[in-house]
This record gives sequence, C-alpha cells and structure tokens, in this order.
Amino acid sequence: MAEAVESPGDPGTTTPRPLMRDLKAVGKKFMHVLYPRKSNTLLRDWDLWGPLILCVTLALMLQRGSVDSEKDGGPQFAEVFVIVWFGAVTITLNSKLLGGNISFFQSLCVLGYCILPLTMAMLVCRLVLLAEPGPVNFMVRLFVVIIMFAWSIVASTAFLADSQPPNRKALAVYPVFLFYFVISWMILTFTPQ
Amino acid sequence: MKQALVDDTEDVSLDFGNEEELAFRKAKIRHPVATFFHLFFRVSAIVTYVGCDWFSKSFVGCFVTVLLLLSFDFWSVKNVTGRLMVGLRWWNQIDEDGKSHWIFEARKVSPDMVAATEAEARVFWLGLIVCPMIWIVFFFSSLFSLKLKWLALVIAGISLQAANLYGYVLCKMGSESNISKVTASFLSQTVFQTAYFPRQQRRK
Repeated sequence: MAEAVESPGDPGTTTPRPLMRDLKAVGKKFMHVLYPRKSNTLLRDWDLWGPLILCVTLALMLQRGSVDSEKDGGPQFAEVFVIVWFGAVTITLNSKLLGGNISFFQSLCVLGYCILPLTMAMLVCRLVLLAEPGPVNFMVRLFVVIIMFAWSIVASTAFLADSQPPNRKALAVYPVFLFYFVISWMILTFTPQ
Repeated sequence: MKQALVDDTEDVSLDFGNEEELAFRKAKIRHPVATFFHLFFRVSAIVTYVGCDWFSKSFVGCFVTVLLLLSFDFWSVKNVTGRLMVGLRWWNQIDEDGKSHWIFEARKVSPDMVAATEAEARVFWLGLIVCPMIWIVFFFSSLFSLKLKWLALVIAGISLQAANLYGYVLCKMGSESNISKVTASFLSQTVFQTAYFPRQQRRK
C-alpha cells in the first residue's frame, strides 16, 4: 500500500507500522469521496482496504435470504465480488491502454472508494423495502439510486479524468459510467424474497 | 543468514549492558507475539477454509471470515512481522509527478542493533512460502471439483499471500538480481550452519 509518510532508511525496518495511521487514512478517503474535490494527496496515498470493506458490505446487503439453506445466496455473493473487482480491473486496464498516467492500484483505489455512495443507496433501498411494496416504493428507490449513481460518477471522474489526455477523456470515462450503472442496476432490481 | 552468524560472535564479545537487553539478545525468539500472529492468521484462514462444512453451513459466513483473516494476515505480515522478525520492508510510493515506485529495504546490521535470530527467520520464511502453496492446491481442488463459487475466495487468498511473498523475496534479494544465485547461497548457508554449528543451536 502507498505510504507517503514512509521514507527510505532505518529505523523503519525495525519498527512496525502503526495501525491507527492506516485506519485514519481509510477514513480520510471516505470523507474525500463524500465531498469530492480535486486533491492530489488522496491519489498519492492509495490503499485497497476501503474498496474491500465496501465490496463486502455491498455483497452482504445484496443477498437474498432463502429458506433453503443449501442455496443460501452463495453464488450471488461471489457474483458481486467478481463484478466489482473484475470490472474495476478492466476499467483500469482500459485507461492504461488509452495512455493514462495513473498507476494500476491508484485507479483501483479510486474506483473502489467511489462505490461508497452506491453502498449508501443500497442501505436506503433495503430500509425502504421494509415498507409496503408498490409504485411509490419503486419511485423512491429509483430516485435515491439515480442521485447516488450521479454522485459516484462525479466523485470518480474528479480524480480520474485528469490523468487522461484531453481528447481521450470520454473514452476513459464511459466504462466507469457502465461499471457504476451495472452496480446501480443490481441495487435497483434487488428484491428480498 | 549471515546476520545470524554475526549474532553468534556478538553474544560473546558485547557482554556488557543491562540484564534485560542481555536476555533479549540471548532469546531464541525475540518477538514471540509477532511470531505467533505471523502464523496465526494464515493458518486460521486455511483451517477455516478447509473446515467450512463442519463449522457452519453458511457460505457467506465462511467467505467473509476467511477474507477477513486473509486481510489481517496481509496487513500484519507486511507492516509488522516482516519488520520485527527479519528487518525487511516494502511499500509503494507515488512521487510528485504521479509516478509509482516500489521500494524494498533490508535492515543494515550494525553492532549496536540486534540482528534477526535464526529461529525467527526460519519461522518467517517457512510461513511465507508454505501457505501460498497450500492456497494453490486449493485453487486446483476447487477448480477440478467444480465448486466454482469458492474460486473467487481462493484467488483472493493466493493474490494476498503471493504479494507478500514476492515483496519480501525482492527485499531479501536487494541488489542481487539473480534469484537462483540467492536460493543457492541461502540453501548452502543453512546446510553449512546445521552441519558445522550443531552445538551452538542447542546452546541457544
């Protein structure tokens, strides 16, 4: 993981890295996603813990409770994982092939952290689904998901678009759009049976 | 391994210093907590994965537990046990222009700094090498038994453990770019020590 505060030389090789520093860094990145603004320091100090937490949370919430314990939502859980990570890797490869100057893990970091608004949308949807079903229910969920989807896109392009040459920006941003669209679709079409 | 040889002679010459420091230098394992946790998370992850069907019927519970254990293991091996047990560290740094650098460091041995003990180094490298191999076995077993839903977890396990192994091997190699030379010298030193200094190992 990137450690902007580590520098070559002893005594770093004998003292363990403090845990609180890493936890605080993850928290700071979550805040940056919630209030997106161009910040170079966020990109430099990447880590993948946030995306992992978000992915697990999203996958847990996207589970269908089932009476039959044998099919206890296993494939769906792994599915979410595969979609998120495979999707993020594909977008990163795409942006690198287009000539972007962002590193592999930085891009994964940004894409992963920007799933935060959609995870919040999932939470809201699950709460809304506790109420009685109907068109109003659906409209509320649709509205929330659209807002959060737009938020994710804005947050991620705030970080990613800069790394591309100007004539390639749209080419690099449209897979991000697709990625978050697929996740939003999974959230919107979720029904706990 | 060279550090351990230097350590043996230093035990004799630098015999002044307080009692605690002396006990610390003479101890076979200087960081018992770190050594324990180095192995604990890796082995628990493997045990949980294997014993999943007996512990609980829930795929999700097992998946999340193993993933959490693998993540804790990754963080603790990269940031704590590597530094304490063998004095190596590696990380990624992004400089002002946005270029990413991977940096690998090894602790320089000096007279006033305690070097790694042989036992700790052995435990460290053994844990680091054996576990990814076990996960690779799991990969093939889940692939051929067609239990594909576990594949995502096994791949995650392999990536996390292999990343640490690769990072530390690169640290150890340092400027040495030929891995077969390093392996040969590592093996020959281990054989040399066991053959010619059996007494000293028992004395520790």
